[in-house]
Amino acid sequence: MSEDAGAAAERPVVDRRGNAFWASLALPGVAWLCLFFLLPFYVILCVAFGSVHPVFLTPQPAWNPLSWDTRAFEFVLEGLFTPGAAFQVVFLRTLAYVAIATSLSLLIAYPVAYYVARHGGRYKGLLLAGLVAPFFISYLMRMLAWINLLQDDGWVNDVLVWAGVLDGPRNWLDGRASSVILGMVYGYVPFMILPLYAFLDRIDGRLLEAARDLGASRFQTFRLVTLPLSGPAILAAVAIIALPMFGDYYTPDLLSQSPNTSLIGNQISLYIRGGQQVPVGAALVVCLMAFLAVLMAYYLVVTVRAQRRLGG
Amino acid sequence: MAMHPRESRYGRREFLGRSAVGVIGLSSLGTLLAACGGGDGGAAALELASPSNPVTQPLFDDNPPVASGLEPEKGTLRIYNWSGYLWPRIKKDFAKEYGVQVEETYFSTTDEAVAKISSGAVDFDVFFPTTDRVGRLIAGKALQPLNHDYLPNLRNVWPSVQDPWYDKGSRYTVPYTTWTTGIGYRVDKVATRPESLSNPYEIYWDEANRGKVYLLDDSRDAPAHMLLKNGIMNVNTEDPEDIELAKNELKSLIDAVNVKLSTDDYTNVPEGKAWVHQMWSGSAIGAQWYLPEGTGPEVLGFWFPEDGRGVIGNDMIAIPRNAKHPVLAHHFLNYLLDEKHGYDNFVNYTGYQPPLTALDPDRLVSDGVVPANLKTAIVRESDFDVAMPLTELSADGQALWQNAWAEFKAGV
Amino acid sequence: MTSVAGAGAGSARNGRLREWIANPWGKPRVLPLVTVAYLAWSILPILIAIRFSFNEGRSRSTAQGWSFRWYWEDPDLSVWADPDLRTALFQSLRLAGIAVLVTVPLGTALAIGLTRWRGRGSGAARAVSLATLVTPEIVMGTALLLVFVNLLTFVPLGTPAQAIGHITFSLVFVLIIVRGRLLAIGPEYEEAARDLGASRLQAIRLALLPMLWPAIVASGIIVFAISMDDFVISQFLSSGTNTDTVPVRIYATGRTAPTPALNALATLTLAVTIAFAALGFLLWWLLKRARGDRESALEHLAH
Repeated sequence: MSEDAGAAAERPVVDRRGNAFWASLALPGVAWLCLFFLLPFYVILCVAFGSVHPVFLTPQPAWNPLSWDTRAFEFVLEGLFTPGAAFQVVFLRTLAYVAIATSLSLLIAYPVAYYVARHGGRYKGLLLAGLVAPFFISYLMRMLAWINLLQDDGWVNDVLVWAGVLDGPRNWLDGRASSVILGMVYGYVPFMILPLYAFLDRIDGRLLEAARDLGASRFQTFRLVTLPLSGPAILAAVAIIALPMFGDYYTPDLLSQSPNTSLIGNQISLYIRGGQQVPVGAALVVCLMAFLAVLMAYYLVVTVRAQRRLGG
Repeated sequence: MAMHPRESRYGRREFLGRSAVGVIGLSSLGTLLAACGGGDGGAAALELASPSNPVTQPLFDDNPPVASGLEPEKGTLRIYNWSGYLWPRIKKDFAKEYGVQVEETYFSTTDEAVAKISSGAVDFDVFFPTTDRVGRLIAGKALQPLNHDYLPNLRNVWPSVQDPWYDKGSRYTVPYTTWTTGIGYRVDKVATRPESLSNPYEIYWDEANRGKVYLLDDSRDAPAHMLLKNGIMNVNTEDPEDIELAKNELKSLIDAVNVKLSTDDYTNVPEGKAWVHQMWSGSAIGAQWYLPEGTGPEVLGFWFPEDGRGVIGNDMIAIPRNAKHPVLAHHFLNYLLDEKHGYDNFVNYTGYQPPLTALDPDRLVSDGVVPANLKTAIVRESDFDVAMPLTELSADGQALWQNAWAEFKAGV
Repeated sequence: MTSVAGAGAGSARNGRLREWIANPWGKPRVLPLVTVAYLAWSILPILIAIRFSFNEGRSRSTAQGWSFRWYWEDPDLSVWADPDLRTALFQSLRLAGIAVLVTVPLGTALAIGLTRWRGRGSGAARAVSLATLVTPEIVMGTALLLVFVNLLTFVPLGTPAQAIGHITFSLVFVLIIVRGRLLAIGPEYEEAARDLGASRLQAIRLALLPMLWPAIVASGIIVFAISMDDFVISQFLSSGTNTDTVPVRIYATGRTAPTPALNALATLTLAVTIAFAALGFLLWWLLKRARGDRESALEHLAH
């Protein structure tokens, strides 16, 4: 990165050189991402379209796309598109869990973020600390806390029995969907609150005052101004938690252990870490990525359109 | 590509249904044939061993055993093992005696362990393979042949396992423990005990235990009980119809009792998480040490077929080819084959019985090692005459079982 | 008397209720309840889990006295005595340390470069780094595992592979935070420095970095926290127990027969993370005060 000291004379030349300088500053990071993010995706493809070692049955990637073998892929696609087949059932279940968990998260996150951002008052700092705190507590530790509470003799049962809601302790960890979904909500909701808060906090107060001045009630102000404005932020918050949720396998593992609640992540984990048919696992990953890419593309299109509308 | 001979048994519809399984198997067969032709220097042909087809494992010029008469290396002996499968005192004592460090790393499934060992991405000195995988590890040269000069204690074990069907002459492995796969249960919780049923395997479907029924999280062990329930004694079957049957039996358990999967049988049962748990005999014996305070071992029960026709096995110890301390590893193997160390490891910690000739199974109850109610978990050398070990499957067979297992685990 | 007062209160409540139904967003009365309930829900289980780490007995659901038994007093089972738990704690710290040391400079350079660089590549590079944000961990874990086992075989599983994984997924956080700050600052200060004769590097060092420091420190805190939090990448790229991190250990034993030592381990991890964050915030505050900026640290993090 040698820097030419006497380059101040000609502006355009400087700019081009400057550009090269900035590019070179970004280079190590870009190279890192190419090597450890993009390249691995190519390797996933090569494994998904590859074969297995004849003896160990470990994957043998096909590096050359011309020699790609599509059979593991066909197997996965067939499983995904045959009604009632295992992959499809698991995928639909994952979709349902993610949809329910995301909606519940939004129902919790939006009011909380709204309140802290708009009505936090002098407690704002304290409330904000409470919202940020879960970031510093590992997801697994938070799940562990719930396992403690949900045990047969845990506090959840104690409280519910004491309050008369239940006659006797209930086995919350016996493989029920509700435990898994609530676990996911608990785990992911903090990641949704913060972006929503950041957005709601930034809404120009004058805009809301103007609405009130024009005679809108608080609710009308919210419905006609705040909510439409938060559309993109809600979408972003949904994307931030929903996409990673599609890869979850540890929440059902910890809170259920039953086949009834297994997600697409569990199937991927089984095939990838199981070692005998890694290409099938890799093909599953590719399909999941393709699906998520579609969601991402939809998100981008919607966002760009919204921006354009605001701009116009 | 040529058809696999077994492929002709599939009907057209079935073939479509399983196409990828078949083709992955086929493609691997193709490469295997190529390898036999000498194209691929890395791997040799694989002969599937079974009690009726004992195999003398091949030796390779490029994978020689360590020379005799070497001093054990210093440094850290790295062990790759199941968790709870080696008494920490043994490690400590060995480390002291040899002036080395001992570090143990755990895996939770054989699949995971074999994947890592065969990838070559890890270097362990001591590994604990199972009979259903060891042939592949040897053929792929992931294990090194043993130098028996360092293993005088091998003569301490039963003659049958000094010369086992999966590795005649113990070229690559020495035996570690023996076990059977039965059904563990909580005497104080279940309404019906397995032995009181005409078909004891039906206990898994007893709805009174809903949410408290566990199978071993293992794509071979769990289906084996489904086969045995239906009188299919060949637990190593690769017949798609048998596999389909086992799969459907497994799936029916989801609705019946919301079955759960775990390999922590030795804690799930004593902790009361499970009332009925497919269980390894060694875990049943070890479970008494995990009971909460105030609960006695009489609450534990273990059922194994009275006629002995159940799943049996023995685990073994081997030295990975890329071990950094091969001589030290030989010494460690020999250390574990010592009568006292083997016995101590068993009665103090693992609960898994070593096949030591000096160990009298009939005395285990009177010596207070095994509670009388768990005497069904004791293994005798003669048990191996009738019971069935899990043997290595062909690539196709493995794929069929894995897909059936994945489908069951999907909770369809 | 009492009944009259009661009726009065009741009708007042009814009136308020009617008012609320007619206009639920009138004055936010439900919202503070929801917020407080949420905070209690999110934090109480953690506090309870922490409490059990100090249990004298073996139970993780019944309070049995107070002690440091599970931290160091128990000769076999405490975090300090159990090599697996101790190793996990140090492995987590090691990875988080490496992640911060590598990711923060790498990400800061990337952020400066990408913000100022006007070229065809910059948009694509930004898109790629944002893609890491929404890629499920299992996908990245699989990808990295396959790449290290099949292609970049000189990277052994265990600490090196795990560290690379952590750096890869945390890079984008540094990028977002530092870039946000850069956009707020604008190019004027640098241009001024350049007009005064500074070279580009000098302009960055003398004009830009002093203003970026708070954002850099904030991103360091985030990287540390998400590295400590990570489970999937650490598990996929672990070479075995000796490179298992705290979350991996929690996963492995959380389902079996854990003792309060597991809670103690989790509590220690939390304490370390909070200590690191507190140190960071202090530094951040000092840097911020030096610049006379009144924006709060938390808000900065949130934005």
